[in-house]
Amino acid sequence: MIVFSGVSLIYPTSTKTILEDLTFTVAEGELVLVMGSTGSGKSSLLRLVNGLVPHHTGGILAGDISIQGISTREVKPGGLAHLVGIVGQNPLNGFVTDIVEEELAFGMETLNFAPDVMRKRVEEVLDLLSLAHLRSRSIATLSGGEQQRVAIGSALVMHPRILVLDEPTSALDPIAAEEVLSIVHRLVHDLGLTVIISEHKLERVIQFADRIIHIKGDGHAHIGTPQEVLKSSNIAPPIIELARALNLPDISLSVRDMRRVTENLRAELSKIDVSPALERHPTAPEVVIVDKVSHSYGVSPALREISLAIGAGEIVAIMGRNGAGKSSLLRAIAGILKINRGGISVCGLNPLELQGNERTKTIGFIPQDPSDLLYGQSVLAECRAADKDNKINEGETFALLEKFVPGISGKTHPRDLSEGQRLALALSVVLSAKPQVLILDEPTRGLDYAAKNSLSATLREFAGKGCTILVATHDVELVAELATRTIFIADGDVVADGLTVDVLLSSPAFAPQVAKIMSPAPWLTVKDVVAAIYTTR
Amino acid sequence: MSTTAGIYTFRLRSLIVLVMASTISTYCFLWPFFLNAHSSAHHLNNQIFSLVGVPVALAVLIVEISNQRLDAKSVALLGVLAALTAALRPMGAGAVGIEPMWFILILSARVFGPAFGFILGILAMFVSAMITGGFGPWLAYQMFAAGWVGLGAGLLPQHVGRLRIRGNTEIVVLGLYGIFASLLFGLLMDLQFWPWALGSHTQLSYVPGASIAINTHRFLIYHFASSMAWDVPRAFVTSVLTVITGPAVLFAMRRTKRRASFLTPIEFRASRSALTERARQQREV
Repeated sequence: MIVFSGVSLIYPTSTKTILEDLTFTVAEGELVLVMGSTGSGKSSLLRLVNGLVPHHTGGILAGDISIQGISTREVKPGGLAHLVGIVGQNPLNGFVTDIVEEELAFGMETLNFAPDVMRKRVEEVLDLLSLAHLRSRSIATLSGGEQQRVAIGSALVMHPRILVLDEPTSALDPIAAEEVLSIVHRLVHDLGLTVIISEHKLERVIQFADRIIHIKGDGHAHIGTPQEVLKSSNIAPPIIELARALNLPDISLSVRDMRRVTENLRAELSKIDVSPALERHPTAPEVVIVDKVSHSYGVSPALREISLAIGAGEIVAIMGRNGAGKSSLLRAIAGILKINRGGISVCGLNPLELQGNERTKTIGFIPQDPSDLLYGQSVLAECRAADKDNKINEGETFALLEKFVPGISGKTHPRDLSEGQRLALALSVVLSAKPQVLILDEPTRGLDYAAKNSLSATLREFAGKGCTILVATHDVELVAELATRTIFIADGDVVADGLTVDVLLSSPAFAPQVAKIMSPAPWLTVKDVVAAIYTTR
Repeated sequence: MSTTAGIYTFRLRSLIVLVMASTISTYCFLWPFFLNAHSSAHHLNNQIFSLVGVPVALAVLIVEISNQRLDAKSVALLGVLAALTAALRPMGAGAVGIEPMWFILILSARVFGPAFGFILGILAMFVSAMITGGFGPWLAYQMFAAGWVGLGAGLLPQHVGRLRIRGNTEIVVLGLYGIFASLLFGLLMDLQFWPWALGSHTQLSYVPGASIAINTHRFLIYHFASSMAWDVPRAFVTSVLTVITGPAVLFAMRRTKRRASFLTPIEFRASRSALTERARQQREV
């Protein structure tokens, strides 16, 4: 049992309290979701549970936190390790060994467990998390979902009573995310484990949550059942947005419940003739041409004879499982990856041969981790370097950044920024060169809804000026919101290529929430539904 | 009021053990000069003493250090930097003394202090011996010498009078120290190796029991010859790497040190009024 009584927190160098007067109790076997925008103190709250805050980070803590009757005032994080298991945002950062089995045993080895106990517990966890077939695999070769499961497993072998997960699905495709969350759900129900989870992609988690702690930016928090909290919260997943837009009296959390509630509405709406609002511009000149491109890493093929043509002003989403070849394709188009066979031309040029300014004016590429692009020692230094490289007026890049995310301090080190701010900085640097083709690899990792909306708006504005945009992403909601065309890749092959509406609706796993609710009507976003209703009345 | 754990520093007891261990190993480095008897039995005793003395002194020191509980953050930092340093050492392929590891050791010790630098030197040598298979009687000597290099880098002053040594001055100081440390390490390794290196009948060989003057003369000639081939390239590489990478590496390490929030105050308060008061005060500052 976790008891927070009157907890307030401030960091020694900060001028604002992170949390204020937080009181709640989490009972055994509860799954609690912590939500809030970036930088609101979600991670601080999670780390308070096992005492990492303040014992590891420093800080002033008022009030008391007790875990199974042990106060975190008196006990350091090590003393709670047998009760609380914590899994960080990026599982790869936490791994110590190379092999799945060894990783699971590592924590017990450091605590000097007897070998037979270790063996038994490793077996138990392998079964519990369906990892048995992966036991002797190298961790680096696992998919994102499998890695996340191993990370959870290595926390579970210590038999904790409480599991703390910090954004466990932010880097996963929808199917892998489902896989991880359903296992967490099972742990809660089968073992009575208490789980505290933080997540930005609420649409994935809310149906599992017993209660929600919503941290508002000012340190105050709203705690209650999902229905209570989501009724009034300023961040909400599309399913809730839809319920609000339709003025439904009760909020439903799952697609099934929502379909029941909207039965009449859907019957009424099915009478109107719906045709997709978005059309491809047939006359637009083709900017990116991919001609029978194949590539393989060692013996395993990543791309098999892919051919594509993408026109100016198109926003193309590239979807597919982790490891399907999305990144390889984007890197090939960006001219970073030297492909084995086939030809690629961007604006009539070979991307591999582009150099210097000609390159930055043709292709802008933002890799999965935007900090790979940032090497300056402060935000301002980064922006000035971009101004100089692109021969534009001093301060222009910073002004662009200010437009995306207002109020960023120029003196901050790029790596100290939040995920959203870092992406915005990388985007400003790349966009300041005014490239004709912009390529983004998995941009929404760790972004909250507000940051995602501002990203969509920025990209749409840019596409409106005739720039072609390619986005590889797992985030179906972003695709629904943003992309005009979607390409689905599986095992290095193009499986589907067409209008976003057609592609997303044809695959149930990758359909956005609104589409699942309103099916068979071809609406992807709340906006589409509202527009449709508006035309009927 | 308590604080989070600090970066590793020596306590009084570990300091005493360090001085004692260093004294023993200094003798073991210098034994050829102090040996007066002609009897080969005595010679053998000395050999055994120097072969055993350094590892034992080192073991005692490591036991003392590990008795003092190292904080998780120091362990993590130590582990990463030791692995990095150890992995960089064989990069020079061992040719003519080029070991691109010393600059990392020197820069880390500069940022994280003498005690940390000492342990880092010891650990890095040990780990790199594991990687390269360089185990032997010389290993304990190498570990001690690397420890001293780290210790020295950590002891370089941060201030001269009221002037803080930062920026270009700091880089120059560290570059010069890199030359000094490389030459010192070479000298120590020659001392350790010289009695065994040449057999007993060359003009530069060690003469057991001869006067200090004769042996010193022979040693200096030997050292000069070997250092031209090994120590001078090492000193050159180390100081050049220190100067080139210094600004960026120092910046990154200082940022790490800040982010790791060593010695940050922890306070537990009963009520939250004191806390909002604190926030208000900090806003005013």
